[in-house]
Amino acid sequence: MHTANIPTLETRRLALRGPEAEDYPDFKATFSSYRSRFMGGPLNGYEAWMLYAAEIGHWNIRGYGMWMIHLRDTDETVGMAGGWMPAKWPEREIAWIIWPEKAGHGYALEATHAARGYFYDTLGWDGAVSYIDPKNLDSIRLAERLGAKKDPQAATIDGSDTVYRHPSPDALVGSQLAHGIEMEIANYIDPLFKPKGWAID
Amino acid sequence: MTPALDIPVLETERLILRAPRESDFEHEREFFATEGSRFVGGPLPAHRVWRSLAMLIGHWAFRGYGFWALEDKESGTYQGRVGLWFPEGWIEREIGWTLMPHGQGNGYATEAALAARAHAYDVLGWDTAISEIDPKNEASKAVARRLGASFEKMYDDPEYGPIEIWRHLAPTDLENGGMEAYA
Repeated sequence: MHTANIPTLETRRLALRGPEAEDYPDFKATFSSYRSRFMGGPLNGYEAWMLYAAEIGHWNIRGYGMWMIHLRDTDETVGMAGGWMPAKWPEREIAWIIWPEKAGHGYALEATHAARGYFYDTLGWDGAVSYIDPKNLDSIRLAERLGAKKDPQAATIDGSDTVYRHPSPDALVGSQLAHGIEMEIANYIDPLFKPKGWAID
Repeated sequence: MTPALDIPVLETERLILRAPRESDFEHEREFFATEGSRFVGGPLPAHRVWRSLAMLIGHWAFRGYGFWALEDKESGTYQGRVGLWFPEGWIEREIGWTLMPHGQGNGYATEAALAARAHAYDVLGWDTAISEIDPKNEASKAVARRLGASFEKMYDDPEYGPIEIWRHLAPTDLENGGMEAYA
């Protein structure tokens, strides 16, 4: 048994690969912690395993899903990012989670930017949303850095979440937004690189 | 794009055991909306049922075995599922069965569980297996008895609470005259 047919995406620092059995302890650690409170957690051991196995099943049923984010240098995992649409989800979602001790390096931005590009360019999606708990300020900020905007008219999952709508493929190609995302990622990779007009804080 | 899972197809006299797929979801959703699912973790809202279905597929990816969906050969209708189960934290490797209401009363669980047990012993090389059964689930205990399993002990399952552990006949029991279980 393997999950080899899940495509691998590579970015400057990251390799996005399908969830494998040996990555489970990292997943479990985060989903049994308070960090997972905006993603249905914390979960007990059985629920965590069930969700992890469901990540694979999602790929199998939908043909897309959540990747495990690895650092290319060390192969360690730092979180997950990808597409998510279980039954009764109003629209296809782009989702992410970074292990608590790996936050603050721009990994979610780099991974999500690559995942969104894959969904738009390879799978032909014409858009996507992210469902975010209004108290999850880190995720709201990431959605905004990705160019997503709050869409108060869109259907929510259960009324407790806010819908952020991602820019369409056309709005991303060659745009100032896309260049801005790439420059921000470049700044994480090389903090000495300061693009013109970079915020001084 | 879809992960290639080599889920074997098994065939019994009346049933096809095949990989779970999304079209099974509506049957499972209806079943888990009713009290009939109380012995197997229900009732559950639709999104949890979908996640369970996805988990069944993921279990195959991680363990190389899992639950098969049951179709009766005559109509091709989804009747429930039977399989080999060992998520993290489970006490031992299990043979499990859950039938949809329209699939009950036909001996399908026994017929499919025999095929699943044979796969566990002959293909995977298991030397024993259990089934966890809710103490009030008499229909499921009847299936276990027909398979030749016997009550072993009570177990306080962290997920389901007190539950009965039934022990299946070992491969050696089946070789040494246990074959009446197949009758």
